[in-house]
Amino acid sequence: MRRKAWLDFAAGALLAGALVAGLAVPPERNMGDLARIMFVHVPAAWLAYLAFGVTLVGSVGYLATGRMKWDRLAAGSAEVGVYFNGLTIALGMIWGKSTWGVWWTWDARLVLTAIMFFVYLGYLGLRRGIADPVARARRSAWLGVLGAVQIPIVHFSVVWWRGLHQPPSVIRPGGVQMDNEFRIALAIAVLAFTFVYAALLRRHMENALAEEALAARLASEEVEVAGAAITAPRYGEVD
Amino acid sequence: MTGLWRQAWEIARKDLRTELRSGEVLMITVPFGAAALMLIPLAIGVDAPLLERVGPGMYWSVVLLFGVLVTVRQSAADGPAQMDLLSLLGLDPAARFAGKAGASALLLMAFEAMLAPIALALYGSDPRGWWWVLAVLPLVALGLGLLGTLAGAIAASVASTTLVPLIVVPLSVPMLLAAAQVTEGIRVGATIFGWLLLLVVMDLLLAVAGVLSARPLQEATR
Repeated sequence: MRRKAWLDFAAGALLAGALVAGLAVPPERNMGDLARIMFVHVPAAWLAYLAFGVTLVGSVGYLATGRMKWDRLAAGSAEVGVYFNGLTIALGMIWGKSTWGVWWTWDARLVLTAIMFFVYLGYLGLRRGIADPVARARRSAWLGVLGAVQIPIVHFSVVWWRGLHQPPSVIRPGGVQMDNEFRIALAIAVLAFTFVYAALLRRHMENALAEEALAARLASEEVEVAGAAITAPRYGEVD
Repeated sequence: MTGLWRQAWEIARKDLRTELRSGEVLMITVPFGAAALMLIPLAIGVDAPLLERVGPGMYWSVVLLFGVLVTVRQSAADGPAQMDLLSLLGLDPAARFAGKAGASALLLMAFEAMLAPIALALYGSDPRGWWWVLAVLPLVALGLGLLGTLAGAIAASVASTTLVPLIVVPLSVPMLLAAAQVTEGIRVGATIFGWLLLLVVMDLLLAVAGVLSARPLQEATR
């Protein structure tokens, strides 16, 4: 086994464990089997927060030190975070259709989660638009800091604005409001998703490093350009 | 007037003079916004009580979406050569940010002020409550001006012109919420202090972020 592959295997094994744990819990009293969607929806939402939080850390790290590894961390985490954020919204919509009867409703949590998604799409769009690595890192770092302001707003939106979305069940005053078997299954799912996030992030960072190395090698190589065969005329010389 | 403020004032004056000559905001964006305010009732149906209720929200949405055009226009006005010249002249990047944001805020205030009577006329909202909204206009204009200028600086040298709106619009949602909630709060007699405070805090945060990031972002352009 490759030395670095342990993270991928751990993520896979934990995902399998989370699947078994999620299917093993009994159906929820009111929602039945639909409640099992929580074992993917909640971890995906938490991982989106974590990923964008890591983007903030990477951005601040880059602005403080100017080291590219921080930029790779911020960018990789944002990409994975956008994936988890999109997954959260998609699963939330499926949940909403089954419980509220609509795919979308104008609830503060839903709207702000969607807005967070668009902010980080803008972050990725900005990175794609700048060719120079240093300019890209510096500009996106500022947006990474600016965009992170909304992470706590999204989380606490269910407390500040009363809407359809249920208030927090885990991080809330008065402790966790959930049965033990649900709590254990959810904890395994969160752990599994965290390992998946770490594995994906590592791949992203390795790819970014390889891309930088390739760009540096291409820039240093002498490549033949169009028109290279045309030479300047040598006046006064006769062949 | 200290050096920094004087430089900011000169930059703002230059931007406002450019606008005076081109008239792009007042002659093009305002009619465009007014047309949007007219299109919405046609889309949702001519229901007078409904329009009266949604009028303030529609007004703030149009201010936000079309106000982005104003800030994008201001951000895109300076080309790389002009930026280099200003740097060679010793212009402080923070002064440039303050000047551009100030000019954008003034233009946005004019934009808001010209659209407000149009919205009142089209939607038939009760104008008594709107007097209180006058306090919100400068705060929203300043916030949008600061955010647009900051986004313009972050996205400078990016070929895509649609990137700045993608950055500005989602981040300006708290401003839209606050402005709409102030208007709604006045209508139903609820307290509006918290929303006004949110606008002030956002403006302050954006001003600090803009001033702190001005030099690193300008250096990243080279």
